[in-house]
Amino acid sequence: MTERDPKLNILAPVETRPRLDRLERLVRRSGGGRMTRAEALGLGGLALLAAAGCGGKTSTGGGGGGASSSGAADPLAGKPMENNLVIYNWSQYDDPSTYKSFKTQNHVAIKETYYSSNDELLAKLQAGGTGYDIIVPSQNAVGELVELGSLMKLDKALIPNASAVESSWVKTSYDPTGDYKVVKDFGVTMFFYNNKIITEKPTTMKQFYDLLPKYGKVGRTNLMDGAEEVVPLALMALGYDPNTGDPAELDKAKSFLLSIRGGVTTIDSSNYINDASAGKIILGQGWNGDVRRILSARKKQGDITAVLPQDTSEKWADNWCIPATAPDPVAAHAWINHLCDPAVAVKEMEYHNYPIPIQAALDQTPADLKNDPLFNVPASYTDHYKFILNPSQEIVNARTQIYTAFQSA
Amino acid sequence: MTTETIQPPKRSPRRRSFAPRYPGWLTAPSLIYYMIFFLGPLAILVVFSVATQAGFGSVSYTFSTSQFKALNDPLYIKVFRQTMLMAAGGTALTIAIGYPVAYWMSRYLTRYKTLALLLVIVPFWTSFLIRTYALKIILDPQGYLAHFVEWTGISNQFNVLYTGKAVAIGLAYNYLPLLILPVYASLERMDWKLVEAATDLGASPFKAFRQITLPLTLPGLITGALLVFIPMCGEYVIPQLLGGGQFAFVGTVIGSNFLGAQNWPFGSAMAIAFMVLLSIFVVIYIAFATREEQFGA
Repeated sequence: MTERDPKLNILAPVETRPRLDRLERLVRRSGGGRMTRAEALGLGGLALLAAAGCGGKTSTGGGGGGASSSGAADPLAGKPMENNLVIYNWSQYDDPSTYKSFKTQNHVAIKETYYSSNDELLAKLQAGGTGYDIIVPSQNAVGELVELGSLMKLDKALIPNASAVESSWVKTSYDPTGDYKVVKDFGVTMFFYNNKIITEKPTTMKQFYDLLPKYGKVGRTNLMDGAEEVVPLALMALGYDPNTGDPAELDKAKSFLLSIRGGVTTIDSSNYINDASAGKIILGQGWNGDVRRILSARKKQGDITAVLPQDTSEKWADNWCIPATAPDPVAAHAWINHLCDPAVAVKEMEYHNYPIPIQAALDQTPADLKNDPLFNVPASYTDHYKFILNPSQEIVNARTQIYTAFQSA
Repeated sequence: MTTETIQPPKRSPRRRSFAPRYPGWLTAPSLIYYMIFFLGPLAILVVFSVATQAGFGSVSYTFSTSQFKALNDPLYIKVFRQTMLMAAGGTALTIAIGYPVAYWMSRYLTRYKTLALLLVIVPFWTSFLIRTYALKIILDPQGYLAHFVEWTGISNQFNVLYTGKAVAIGLAYNYLPLLILPVYASLERMDWKLVEAATDLGASPFKAFRQITLPLTLPGLITGALLVFIPMCGEYVIPQLLGGGQFAFVGTVIGSNFLGAQNWPFGSAMAIAFMVLLSIFVVIYIAFATREEQFGA
């Protein structure tokens, strides 16, 4: 591992790339440590699949999950609904009436437990946590879980309502086949400023960063915390891919971040809503749902201007997924289908205030939601925004190191 | 001793009375508990620290010192140094507040001694997290304390929250009882006649304190200082809440490696390295305490 691996170029259909990438990673990994039996099996299966993919016409079935998703064409068709459904979710993320209507329609008992971060979810699943039928990972965790083969390939025949999901949210960069998730809701990272103090009119994330050194002395400024926010957002402001592994680009992001460090008062994603609502933050980043709340709290003073960055920024999505080990897969599919029912989706959106990419449902939401760009972020923005992913462990480590340097500077 | 084995056993009641009265294996449950739940996690940490990462959240169990080599980077040395400086500042503040309180309790209080002790411990009865949030309210630049300070004219801008000062105040506040109690105990044990004798012989009160009271309470003070310094070094929540997330403590960096990056080997190596570093202080303390026992009063 110490010497540089020579690059291997293979001419193959583009659809097989994820498979070949995974194959390569597994081979590399097996050089360093022991492989588990499941991995060895998956490796064999993938080698076959990759070979088949290269040789003949690519098939759409049997993706990266490998051994975990069963090979039969439609294993769930005709199976009866189970009596139970175990959901592992973020807390207070769904309307209570959604559970009630699902229970009465399907006669299924629902049990729900909660987590507070994707790390917690991943740690639980990696420690062998089974027994969950539904999980709600964010985009970066979906990418990881697909790679680890921990997700079940969804049977779209059991989720007819999902066909209403906007096409741009089906095949996404973190799930290129669109087979492993249905987007639950989405949001973006934007910024806001106090227009009584800040007279420039920043419209891009780069302009936001450039104002920090000047206004950090005047009042409190805030960035979203965590290596997976700070570093990719800076990369995007500099015009790079947020998921880049190029050391030169990461280096530029690092020196850019260090150059604005003096203008950053706090790095925080959990307390900033209250503080900004009390008018204590004059320049800060925020997620659109939170910024909506801040704006309404400052309505009387009218001193906060919210900006959806013009060029690019982060978009994120939380997703309905079914673990490969789910004991009640039919009920899990029924749950996702229920949530994609426009009538249910409307209630959900009114509850959690994040958009669900189903046009029929969005059209029925109250005007104050539907017409608010901070809720219903126009596609003209989200089309240019990018998902922040965890492309590889090396990139995640590099981001963490830059973040540590940024914090301790 | 060898002759005793040949002779028939002699009754020696004086020696018997000092021998342990119960068989030693009765401590087995405690020892097993200690080994599983105290030494066990430490052993796992050591195993992780010499392992290497193998993709997301998985580890290949090799023997590699690469994690420790990666630690030898100016960035992490800086984090170690900053952490220890902040903890040292917090400890100094704790001593500056705690020692006079302990002295006052021991020397001036008679009837309300127990009540005072109780009041020192009372904050420990509520959640540490809630108390830290409460400190945020007190330190708020638009809070009552800020208004009061600005009104008195001590400072026209009370800007403490989200600075190193707030972190030091938070550290001192949360660990104060851990310093007061050992210092109080050593002050209670002290023979105040020695101070009387010193003043009789013409020492000024300050000189008597410096030459009698301070040296005699030094073991308690150092115990207390280490009891607060070591956990302060591992602090994770206070710098996040009161420092606004802009202070990288060793605990913060270990946390972001374990949780954010899922880099368990590196996080473990950092924890082990810092533990070794801190144990140097413990060794200094033990050497100091032994000398104190030999030559002290």
